Amino acid sequence: MSGLYPLLMRDLKKWYRNPVFLLTGLIQPFFWIALFGSAMDITRLAGPGFNPALLLQGAPNYITFIVGGVLTITALFTGMFTGTNIIFDRRLGPMGRFLASPIARSSIVFSKVLSSVIRILIQAGILVLAASVIPNGLVFPGGFNLVDVLVILTAIILIALIFSSLFSVIAIRMREMNTIFGIVNLINLPLLFVSYAMFPKDFMASWLSDIAAYNPVSWSAESIRMVIINGSLTSSQWSSVGLWLGALAILAALMVVLTYIMAEREIRD
Amino acid sequence: MDLQPIIKVENLTKIYKGGVMAVDSINLEIEEGEVYGLLGPNGAGKTTTINMLTTRLSPTSGNATVAGFDIIRHSMDIRRMIGVVPQDLTADEDLSGLENLLLVASFYDVPKSVALERSQRLLRMVDLVEAAPRQVRQYSGGMRKRLELIIGLINEPKVLFLDEPTLGLDVQTRTTMWEYIKGLKRDYGMTIILTSHYLEEIDALANRVSIVDHGKILVTGTPAELKASLKGDIITFGFRTASDSEKLLEYPGGLEKIDAKDGVLKVRVENADKTLPELLSYLFQHGITLSTLSVQKPSLDEVFLQYTGRSLREEGASDRMKAMMNMRRVRKT
Repeated sequence: MSGLYPLLMRDLKKWYRNPVFLLTGLIQPFFWIALFGSAMDITRLAGPGFNPALLLQGAPNYITFIVGGVLTITALFTGMFTGTNIIFDRRLGPMGRFLASPIARSSIVFSKVLSSVIRILIQAGILVLAASVIPNGLVFPGGFNLVDVLVILTAIILIALIFSSLFSVIAIRMREMNTIFGIVNLINLPLLFVSYAMFPKDFMASWLSDIAAYNPVSWSAESIRMVIINGSLTSSQWSSVGLWLGALAILAALMVVLTYIMAEREIRD
Repeated sequence: MDLQPIIKVENLTKIYKGGVMAVDSINLEIEEGEVYGLLGPNGAGKTTTINMLTTRLSPTSGNATVAGFDIIRHSMDIRRMIGVVPQDLTADEDLSGLENLLLVASFYDVPKSVALERSQRLLRMVDLVEAAPRQVRQYSGGMRKRLELIIGLINEPKVLFLDEPTLGLDVQTRTTMWEYIKGLKRDYGMTIILTSHYLEEIDALANRVSIVDHGKILVTGTPAELKASLKGDIITFGFRTASDSEKLLEYPGGLEKIDAKDGVLKVRVENADKTLPELLSYLFQHGITLSTLSVQKPSLDEVFLQYTGRSLREEGASDRMKAMMNMRRVRKT
C-alpha cells in the first residue's frame, strides 16, 4: 500500500511533537486507573472482613479486576481521535494533497488507524505500569507467563483496530467536527456501560448483562481479566478466551475490510 | 511534424448533486510546453475542470487524456506525471517546510537523497531556504503559497496545474510568483495549466487562454488574438487649437471617430503601432501641434466583457470575500 509508511510516520511525529497531546495521552491512563479504581470500587459496599474475590470473579482487589476494562476503554477513547484526525486533515488542507498524489486512498486512512493502534499500545503499557505501582493495585494472583502477555496484547490490538477503524469509517466523508463528537458521545458511553468493563456480570440486571455479552468491549475486558486473575488457564477458561478473541478477530477483520472499501471508494476532499 | 496534444479534453461534463452543471461539455487541446490559461469568474467551472484533469473528481460524462493517459482509467499514471498546486493550502502546519516537501516526495517514491537535493534546489528557487526548518504555521501567506508551488514540483512533473496561484496575495508577492512561473516555462519547458480570475495574470503568463463562464468555453486564443478581435486600439489626441481636430479627421487613411470635444479627439484604429507613426508624420506635415497623446490597447477585461456581457471587475465583492477567507487560513502569524 503505497504512502502508508510515510503517512504513518507523519502521524506519529505530529503526536510526539505535541507536548500537550502527548502528555494528556500518557497521563490519562494513570487518571483512569486511579479514579475508576477507587470511585467504582464495589467491594467497599460489602464491608470489612469480606473476601473481595467472591465478588470479583476471583480478583483480590478491584483494580486487578478493572484493569482489563480500563485497557479496553483506553482503546475506545483513543480510537475516536482517528476520526477527528481525518476531519482535521480535510479541513486544514493536507487531504487535498494526499488525494492528488499517486498513493492508495486506503493508505491515507490506514495510516491513521495504525498510528492509533500504536498510541493505544503505548498507553496500555503505561497503564499496566501505573496499575502495578499504586497501593492496593494490580497483582497477578495466578502468576504470569508469556502466553498471558500474548493474550493481553492480542485483545488490545484487536479492540484498538476495531474502534480506530470504526471512527475512521464514520469520518470518511465528514467535514463537521461537532458531528463526530456527537456520534462519539452517542457510541462511547453505551459501549462502556453496557459491558463487563467496570462491573462483574452478576451485578448487572439480567437483560443488561444479556446485551453486554455481545459487546466487543466485554470480550476484550473479559479476556484480559481472565488471564490476569488466573495466570495459567484451564481448558474451559481457554475456550471462553478463545471464543472472545475469535469474535474480536472476526469483527476486526470485518472492520478493516469495511475501512478499506470505504476509503478507496468514498474518501473526499 | 504532427505533435499529439499533451492534454486533450472531449465533451467533458460535470453535473454535481442537485443538478448543478459545473462544467458543460468542454473541449480543449493543449500543446506540450504551453502555458494555458483558464480565465473566468468564481464559479465558472475552472476548478472543477482542473479537479477532473488531475483525477480528484470523476466526470459525469465525456473524457480527457493527460500525457496520453485516460483520466478515468489511468488516474494513478496521471497523478505520477503531473504536479498540482490546488487553490487551497495543503501543507501540514505542524511540519516544517522541508518535512512537507520530503513527505510529498515519498508519495512519488523519490529516493531520500534525491528528494533532499531536489528540495534544496526548489527551496532556493523560491527563497525559502532559511524558512525551511521552521514549522509551516509560522509562515506568512506569501511564503505558504511559494511552498505550495514547490510542493507541486517535487516530482518533476511534465504538466503542472496551478489553480488560482496568487489568490489573496498582495501585488508584490503576486509579481514574484509570476516570475517563478515564467522561470518554469523558460528553464524546464514545462506545460502549465493555469486558472485565474485576474486578467493581468493571464495576460502576463499565458500563451493561450480560454474564457470560461457558466461551465462553458466562450472563446480560445492567444491574449493578443483575443484583444485583436476587439478590432482596434484607441488613440486620444489633445490639440493646442481646437480646430486642428477637423484637419486631422481629413487624414486620407481614414479614421473612425469615437468622440471629439474641447480639442480632444478619440479615434479607433486597427493597429496603433503601425498607424501612429504615419499619423504623426501627417500631423507634422500639416503643422499641427499636440498637447497630449495617448494610446489605449484593448485589455482582456474588454474581451471578457464582450464575450460574457459583464465585467470581471463586477465580481469584486465575492472575490474579496473569498480572498479574505483564504487569508484567514493563510495568515496565522
